[in-house]
Amino acid sequence: MRRDEIDQYMDILNFDEYELRSRLEFFEITDDDFRCLAGLRDFASKYTEEIVEKLYELILGHPETRTFFPDAETVERVKRKQTEYFMKLFRENIDLDYIRDRLRIGFVHEKIGMPPKWYLGAYRRYLQLITDRLIEEYRDRPDLAEQYVRSIEKIIFFEMAVSIDTYIAAHVETVTRHKEAIRELSTPVIKVHDRVLLLPVIGTVDTHRAQQIMETVLLEIVEEQAKVMIIDIAGVAVVDTRVADHLIRTTKAIRFLGAEAILTGISPNVARTVVQLGVDIGEIQTTNRLADGIELALHEIGKAITPKNQEKHLEKARQQERPGEKR
Amino acid sequence: MRDAGHDSSQDAKESIRIVEEADIITARQRVRATAQELGFDSFAASAIITITSELARNIWVYAGRGEVVVERIDKGARKGIGLQFIDQGPGIVDLPKVLKGGLSRGGGLGLGLSGSKRLADEFDIDTQPGKGTHISVVKWKAR
Ligand SMILES: Nc1ncnc2c1ncn2[C@@H]1O[C@H](COP(=O)(O)OP(=O)(O)OP(=O)(O)O)[C@@H](O)[C@H]1O
Ligand SMILES: [Mg+2]
Repeated sequence: MRRDEIDQYMDILNFDEYELRSRLEFFEITDDDFRCLAGLRDFASKYTEEIVEKLYELILGHPETRTFFPDAETVERVKRKQTEYFMKLFRENIDLDYIRDRLRIGFVHEKIGMPPKWYLGAYRRYLQLITDRLIEEYRDRPDLAEQYVRSIEKIIFFEMAVSIDTYIAAHVETVTRHKEAIRELSTPVIKVHDRVLLLPVIGTVDTHRAQQIMETVLLEIVEEQAKVMIIDIAGVAVVDTRVADHLIRTTKAIRFLGAEAILTGISPNVARTVVQLGVDIGEIQTTNRLADGIELALHEIGKAITPKNQEKHLEKARQQERPGEKR
Repeated sequence: MRDAGHDSSQDAKESIRIVEEADIITARQRVRATAQELGFDSFAASAIITITSELARNIWVYAGRGEVVVERIDKGARKGIGLQFIDQGPGIVDLPKVLKGGLSRGGGLGLGLSGSKRLADEFDIDTQPGKGTHISVVKWKAR
């Protein structure tokens, strides 16, 4: 986790002095607890390694959690880290630097796709292991043992809250990023030919998407110095007045840039619905099939598709283009 | 509770809350699924889905929030979809003009309402300034 990422998450979680104090208060962590925890350091260093060994018997013994540890080396490394991590619970205070250090846990778990259930389950085992040893160590002073167990419980729950909060924040961030990526993927402008571009629009055109289509289309036209922009809407789920309006605006903007717009992939249903809605698509060139749209575009830039059996087609084209012959 | 022995699909009603833009898509998907179940032809399906899109969007844009009730009508030979668009928004001012089409306060084409009316088989609208709007629509399956 990079420094700026830590800052970012401290921000998202609103973690400042006030937040820290508010949490400590709610988890009822007092100076007494910190005194207990600090006083247990020797006890902790005596048992933590052994506890971590036991803990990993649980983790590596379960088929689903085992898969997070590909080899023995990883296991050894993680065990060492885990020991350090547990040792840090026995401290005389909690400050923001400590929180910054702890944010990493929820973050990393999210990144490797380790769901909170395993983390919480493992922590349950840790609590049991450390409690057993505490009771054993202080069997002559059950009152002390109980007090120590309370303090450990408090700090563990405090830690879990920080981890889960970070986990959720990281998850929201991941989901947002994926959405963005999909959106970007969903406006791929394809170069059909020199100066002819194609944008297949697929799925739902919501406000965000409509804006993005407009931006992408205009940018690409300028960048590629395109003459024709084909927008294929065969994959659009619903063409309502909003979508129609966006398409009309987009084609107007395209024309404003000196290029032509061709709308393709208009099914009979869409045509009928749009007409019934009363939408006037004005002078936008439309075709049913994408192939016809491409042909039209090439025609627009003075090129043509010449099929293998050229003669017939060329003849037909010549006839159609003969000046003065209007139909 | 439905009586045993009755056609269970007879009065299937479902309500979708419209709070954010994505809810419009949810409503559309429900209507699409219902149209498919009832065996609507593709034009009728396209019409009723488009109506849903228009009127649910109007709720979101003009009233902020509201509800779409999708009712599957399956009375033996008569099959159709009943829709209700309910909101407690500002109501539609100057309804007769709006229904003529081309009048928009939202910067759109101003064709959503009038177009939906044309696409529907039955179209009822009850709107009161400051109180809200309730639109009922029915699209029958072609026989
Ligand atoms: N549920 C509603 N509550 C309040 N006002 C509404 C509601 N629905 C429509 N209106 C009003 O009626 C007008 C016309 O609506 P209509 O859907 O026909 O067109 P539009 O939304 O402006 O544009 P579009 O063609 O994109 O739908 C709107 O501009 C708005 O002022
Ligand atoms: Mg509208």
